[in-house]
Amino acid sequence: MKHLLINLVSRGTEMNFVGFRSDVRTLDEPTWLTKNTMAAGFKTAEPLEYHRSFLKENCRPDGRELGEFRTTTLNIGSISTADGSALVKIGNTTVMCGIKGELANPPVDAPNKGYIVPNVDLPPLCSSRFRPGPPGERAQAASQFIADVIESSAVIQKEDLCIVKGKLCWVLYCDIMCLDFDGNLLDACLIALLAALKNARLPEVTVNKETEAPEVNLESRRSLNIHKHPVGASFIVFDDSIMIVDPTAEEESLSTATITVVTDEEERLCALHKPGGTSLSGEKLQNCISRATTRHKEVRKLIDKVIQSAKTPK
Amino acid sequence: MPSSLSAQNKNKRRQFPATVFWFSLGIVMEVCGSSSPTLREFGCEQNLLSRPDGSSSFVQGDTSVLAGVYGPAEVKVSKEIYDRATLEVVMQPKVGLPTVRERAREQCVRETCKASLLSTLHPRSSLTLVLQVVHDDGSLLSCFLNSACMALMDAGLPMSCLFAGVTCAIDTDGQVITDPNAAQEKESRALMTFAIDSTERRVMMSSTRGSFTVHELQQCIAVSQKASDKIFQFYRDSVRRRYSKTL
Amino acid sequence: MQACFKDKVGDVLLPGDVFSFQMPESITDSKPEKVVCGPGLRRNGDEVLVCKSGILRHKQPNLYWIDSQQRRYVPGKGESVIGIITAKSGDIFKVDVGGSEQASLSYLAFEGATKRNRPNVQVGDLVYSQFIIANKDMEPELVCIDSCGRANGMGVFGAGGLLFKVSLGLVRRLLAPQSEIAKDLEKMFPFEIVVGMNGRVWVKSKTIQQTLIVANLLESCENMTAQQRQTLFRRVADGSI
Repeated sequence: MKHLLINLVSRGTEMNFVGFRSDVRTLDEPTWLTKNTMAAGFKTAEPLEYHRSFLKENCRPDGRELGEFRTTTLNIGSISTADGSALVKIGNTTVMCGIKGELANPPVDAPNKGYIVPNVDLPPLCSSRFRPGPPGERAQAASQFIADVIESSAVIQKEDLCIVKGKLCWVLYCDIMCLDFDGNLLDACLIALLAALKNARLPEVTVNKETEAPEVNLESRRSLNIHKHPVGASFIVFDDSIMIVDPTAEEESLSTATITVVTDEEERLCALHKPGGTSLSGEKLQNCISRATTRHKEVRKLIDKVIQSAKTPK
Repeated sequence: MPSSLSAQNKNKRRQFPATVFWFSLGIVMEVCGSSSPTLREFGCEQNLLSRPDGSSSFVQGDTSVLAGVYGPAEVKVSKEIYDRATLEVVMQPKVGLPTVRERAREQCVRETCKASLLSTLHPRSSLTLVLQVVHDDGSLLSCFLNSACMALMDAGLPMSCLFAGVTCAIDTDGQVITDPNAAQEKESRALMTFAIDSTERRVMMSSTRGSFTVHELQQCIAVSQKASDKIFQFYRDSVRRRYSKTL
Repeated sequence: MQACFKDKVGDVLLPGDVFSFQMPESITDSKPEKVVCGPGLRRNGDEVLVCKSGILRHKQPNLYWIDSQQRRYVPGKGESVIGIITAKSGDIFKVDVGGSEQASLSYLAFEGATKRNRPNVQVGDLVYSQFIIANKDMEPELVCIDSCGRANGMGVFGAGGLLFKVSLGLVRRLLAPQSEIAKDLEKMFPFEIVVGMNGRVWVKSKTIQQTLIVANLLESCENMTAQQRQTLFRRVADGSI
C-alpha cells in the first residue's frame, strides 16, 4: 500500500483529463433553491422531486447536462508490484485495476489457450451500502459483466497467452477494486481494465529443454497484444422517460432502468447490457449507442495520451 | 418430439389436476426480414406444484425450467421496503451450486419482473421467485423469463404488463436464428436475449454475448418483437385453457 | 363505455390488457356512465388496466371484476376468514390468516366480552372472524362480533374437525349463493363445514372417515367440470369408491 501511495504522488503530473466541459458554468437554479440550507433539506426529504426539478430545466444537480460525462482521470502503472495497473476516476468514482500474470497448465479442452480471470471487488471502504464478507450481488454481477466483455470483444486473444501448447500458459488475474463508489461502476471498471492491460508487461518465459521447468527472465518483458478496445457508456432512465448519461450513485438509486453499451473501435457492439427496468424502444437504444461511440473516441484518446506520456522519459 | 410430449402430458394430467397445454408454434421456416420468426415447440403448465402460491413449468424445445412463486408473504425486517414489496429471485442450476453466472442472470430476471409487477400494491411484504433448471438446451435465459412470467401470473400478483423472453443467435453467415438450441448457440457469432413487454413491444431487458453491428442489433430486436407476439398469443391460449373448466 | 366491458364478459384476460374509452364527440352531452371495478381491474388515467389473469365477470348493474385462481390470500375489508391464534400479547391476540402479515384481534371483540369477563381463547385455537381493517398500509384487524355486538356465528370453534386449504377460487365458488358444489355436497351425508375467504375450510362429520371423504372431494373439485363432479359425487354416495 505504501508503494501505491508513493507512486500515485510521483506520477501525479501524468494525469490527464477528458470531458465535455472546459469551464465550470454557473447553474440557473430554480429560485426557491437559492437558499442552500433549504435545498439540502429538500434533497434529503424528497430526493426524487429534487432531481425532477433540475431535470425539468435540462440540467443535473452537479451542473452537468443530461448527456455529459463527469471528468475522467486516468493514471497508469500506479502499482509497481503488479505486472500492469491503472487507476481511473470518473467524478468521485475511483477504480483501480491490477494485473498479475501467473503460470499454469492450459485448460484440457483448449490446450492452445490461456486464462483471463477478472474479479471486481466492492469493499466496505468504497460505500456504506456494501458490507464486509463474501462479494455481494452487485460485485458478482459486475465481475460477470467484465468477464463477458472480455470474452465478447476478444480484447486479448487467449491463444496469445499460451507459451507451450498443452503444457504452459499465462493466467492473467485482473483484480479490479473500487476505492470510492459514486455510480457508473461498469464504465470505470472497463477503462481501468483496458488501461491496465495496455500497461501490463509480462516477463519472457522459456522452457528448459532438459528439466522441462519454465525459466522466467524478469529482465526482458514485453507488452500484451491488445486486439480490441472495448469502452463502455452507462445510462439510466429517470421517471420512465428521461435518459441520463454517467449517473452518480444517488441518480442510480432513483433510476427506473440502467443500460450499459460497450463499443469497440470498429463501432461494433460488444455488449448491450440492460438488466430489466423500464422498457425502451429501438430508437432510444440507438441514441445510447451513438453516444457510446463518441464516448469511445474520447476515452481512446485519453488512454493513448496517458500511455504516450508514461513512455516519454522525463 | 411433439408426439412424445403429448404422451407425457396425458400421464401428467392423471397425476395433477392442473391444466396442461402444449402448443406448437414453429411452422413457418427461416427468419429474414418480413417472414415470421421460427421458435421451437413450446409447452407450459401452470399451477403444478402444491406448495408455492404460483408455479409454472415452461418448455422450449428441449430446454425446460420450473418456476415457483411465494408471496406476498412475511418479510424479514432487514429486507423490508416501506412502500413496495421486496422481490427475490433464486436460480438453481441442474447440478451444483449457483455460480456468478447465475447471480448475473438472477439480477436480469429480477429487474425485469420488478418493472412489470405493481409491487407498490403489497408494501412491506416479500415475493420470492425460485427458478429451477430442468434441462438446458439453449435459450435458457429466455426460458427463465417466460416461466417467471407464467408463474407470477399464476400467483395472481398484480402486474402492469407481461414480458416474453426471446433469444436470437447470429450465425457465421450473418443469419438470425431465433430460439437457438445449445448447438446453434455454440456455433453462433453473437447471442442476444431480450425481454419484450406486452403493451408496447419494447425492450425491457437485454443481455448479449459476442460482438455485432448496430444494424444486426436492430434486426434482432425487430425479430424478437415479432417472435414475442407469438409468445404472448401462446400465453393467452394456455391461460384460456387453464380457465376453460370454470368458464 | 359499458359496452366495452360487456363484449368481454366471460373471456379470459391477461395482465396488460387495456380497456380504453374513446368518447365520440357527439355524445359528450349524454349522462356520464359509472363503472365499478373490482379485483384485478385498475383505473389508469383514461383507461382501465387488467392486472391479474382470469375471467372477466359482471354483476348488475355496473360491477366488473376479474375472477382468478389465486392461492395466496390478501385481506379484504369485511371478509370472513378462518384464523389460527398464534400469540397472546397484552390486550390483543395475533392471528395467522395466511396473508403477508399477522392480523390482530382484540380480546374485547368477542360477544359478551368485557374487561372483567375475558373470552377463553388459547394459542392454537381456530377463530371464525371478520376483517374491520384491511388495507395495504395498516396492520389488518379482526373482530368476532358484528356491528350490533352479536357473535353471529363468529368466534372460537373447531373441536375435533379437520382444517385444510383449498384455492381461493374454489372457496368463492363454495360461498356463492346457490352454489352448486355446496348443493351437491349436501346431498351426501350430514356434516358441519366452515369456509373462510382465505382458502381455509374446516369440516366435521359423524365419523373421521366421512370427514376425510368430504375433504378429499373438495380438494378434487378444483379442476373439474360440473358434470365430472356430479359423476364423482354420485359414485361416492353409492359407495363405489
